[in-house]
Amino acid sequence: MTIPSTAAPPAAHEAGALAAQAKQRKRGGRRRPAISRRGELLTGYTFMTPWIIGSLVFTLGPMLWSLYLSFTDYHLILGGDFIGLDNYTAMFADPMFSRAVKVTLLYVVLAVPLKLLASLAVAMLLTQKRRGIGFYRAAFYMPSLIAMSVGMALVWKALFAADGPQDQFMSLFGWEGGGFIGNPDVSILMLVLLSVWTFGAPMVIFMAGLLQVPGELYEAAEVDGAGKWHRFVHITIPMLSPVIFFNVLMETVHAFQMFGPAFIIGGTAGGPAWSTLFYTVRIYALAFVDLRMGYASAWAWMLVLAVGVVTLIMFRAAKNLVYYAGEDNK
Amino acid sequence: MISHPYRLRRRSLLTGASAAAVLAAAAACGDDGPAGTADDPIEISFEWWGDETRADLTNQVITLFQEKNEGIKVTANFADFPTYWEGMAGRMASRDLPDVFQMDYSRLRQFGGAGMLLPLEGVVKTDDFREGFLETAKLDGQLIAVPAAGNTLGLIYRSDWFEANGVAAPAPGYSWDQYSADIATLTPALGEGKWGGGDWAGQYHFMELWLRQQGGSFYTEDGKALNFTQEQLAEWWTTTADLYAAGNVPPVETTIEWTEGGLVQDVLASEIGWDNFMPGFSPTVEANGGTLALAAPPSLDPSNLGLYLKPSMQLVISAATEQAEAAAKFVDFFLGDPEALAILGTNRGIPATNVGLENAEIDQYAQAVLDYEASVSQYLTTPPPAPPAATGAIEVKFGEIYQQVQYAAMSPAEAAALLFTEAETLLAAEQ
Repeated sequence: MTIPSTAAPPAAHEAGALAAQAKQRKRGGRRRPAISRRGELLTGYTFMTPWIIGSLVFTLGPMLWSLYLSFTDYHLILGGDFIGLDNYTAMFADPMFSRAVKVTLLYVVLAVPLKLLASLAVAMLLTQKRRGIGFYRAAFYMPSLIAMSVGMALVWKALFAADGPQDQFMSLFGWEGGGFIGNPDVSILMLVLLSVWTFGAPMVIFMAGLLQVPGELYEAAEVDGAGKWHRFVHITIPMLSPVIFFNVLMETVHAFQMFGPAFIIGGTAGGPAWSTLFYTVRIYALAFVDLRMGYASAWAWMLVLAVGVVTLIMFRAAKNLVYYAGEDNK
Repeated sequence: MISHPYRLRRRSLLTGASAAAVLAAAAACGDDGPAGTADDPIEISFEWWGDETRADLTNQVITLFQEKNEGIKVTANFADFPTYWEGMAGRMASRDLPDVFQMDYSRLRQFGGAGMLLPLEGVVKTDDFREGFLETAKLDGQLIAVPAAGNTLGLIYRSDWFEANGVAAPAPGYSWDQYSADIATLTPALGEGKWGGGDWAGQYHFMELWLRQQGGSFYTEDGKALNFTQEQLAEWWTTTADLYAAGNVPPVETTIEWTEGGLVQDVLASEIGWDNFMPGFSPTVEANGGTLALAAPPSLDPSNLGLYLKPSMQLVISAATEQAEAAAKFVDFFLGDPEALAILGTNRGIPATNVGLENAEIDQYAQAVLDYEASVSQYLTTPPPAPPAATGAIEVKFGEIYQQVQYAAMSPAEAAALLFTEAETLLAAEQ
């Protein structure tokens, strides 16, 4: 986020320079020498230096280092040697790998659609013209500001404890499974719920998308006798499809990276009984409990690869599913 | 270009100013002289695991140390046990360990074997330790830690509940079967939500005890492999199966949410554990109207309880410290200053030094621990060699995999096979 925002000033600077050049040309003055343009570029990059250095040192560097580590048996303390692809092949024989993948996929499949449905539904409610709509928008966005915090995970833990609010409420309807915290069959649902509850970010994007849909389309459809449902399916959804695609993509990528709340609620062991053993939680345990940094790095790069493939598939699928207004969609 | 007189002047002014600043900085460095005065103290860091109570006591001792040693400033930090070690592992990799920190016997090889700890022979005082304590502070013959306190395993139990329900007080040589039978008597008698004892099978220390009672050990002598079979592990994991199935020990669904022990929650009548925990639990239990007592843990062999005196925690100095002298001074103070020891009391266990034993206030609970240790002294045998570096991870895995058995997601045999795979991978990773 910081890089684009800092990139803006030099860009504005350059625009200013171009305008100045144009002015000079109008007055019949000679073109400014290329050297000063280069000087301005230099100024621009100089201003960006802290962020360029930051991303090289703190993001790109460590990433490349971890890529290298993934081909070694690097032990956090004892060091390690190059072992080629052994880590990657070992992964498929690792019983914890398939568990972690299953838990993570289950979470992605549950959390992403539910969260998007919730955010779209609320976005549609909040784009109506009502009194006090600003208040409602703020209120619905609020959970997203606090939810991924440690505090909220702890509150969640209390809500889903044995004899906690969830247990007591569900017991009224004959539930005998106790608190979700101690029940491996349903514990993941509590994390899905936490994620659904924090639909603020996609909601805001949906709202922006909904407000962009031209009103004439609805009016025309209404004249043609289309009901609410038809207008939603045949106008809202297609017009919104680029936004839906964006949200699906972002939320899927986020869901694959689920870590904080799972780590706080289930610990490094992904308790109870590995039911919240998310892929990233396992990476953490491999790296900082087992100290097998090389192997943990291989896991991390496998995740990068998997998310990349999923993203690619989505882009392919989107070609036929997403409608861009003004484009000739064959 | 026309040179601008003002700019010139400003530039020379700036040069002059920066030169002055450099000089001032150099002068400040020069002033330093021998560091370690009240105005410019030597800084050392000290970290430990524990709770708020321990932090309060420790901080008091740090304040006292700083008063008595004006030139040294101690920065302190603490965390709970798992968090502490996760943090230390990362910091060891980045060579960023605190100058002085608390060490556990199970991690001694992990840190010491990698050359992270300063050899302490001749660096700290070693003349006042109680007998047998320094043995577990050595790695392959070299002293790299000093014990702060010691403990051994025992059975901590509610003597009031045992008595009220006609269960005889456990005596040394008490068998595992007898203990199981007692739990099965107590649980129904205590009523809903209370249990006669806890499920002991998920703790690797207790299995080690059980193996020692059969003349075995958890790791081979060289620390490179497990020294038991999968069948033995599967057998160990079934030692509580009947109790568990009958609901005589608390189910995992319940214990997974516990943030404190069953004894202090007034729901457990007994638990195998480290004897030095007893003084910590007792006041709470008494507030609940109960009394705690200590007995030897159950055994397979009345003449071999498998017990050994273990350092409950040790202090170590980082090999990378730049203030070895100040760090050693702090360690000596922590283990040898009468006033400090009076403050620390038995919070970390029964003190490992004689001066500690004389100065720590031995209340009735600490006395009970001392009495217990005296009562089993004839059974204390040689401690196992410092366990392999992977022990910490294996300990975590041991509990994690046993949870699968409790949830009936795996049979004991399947779980044992998985632990072997995992442990072998971990042990191989450090060869």
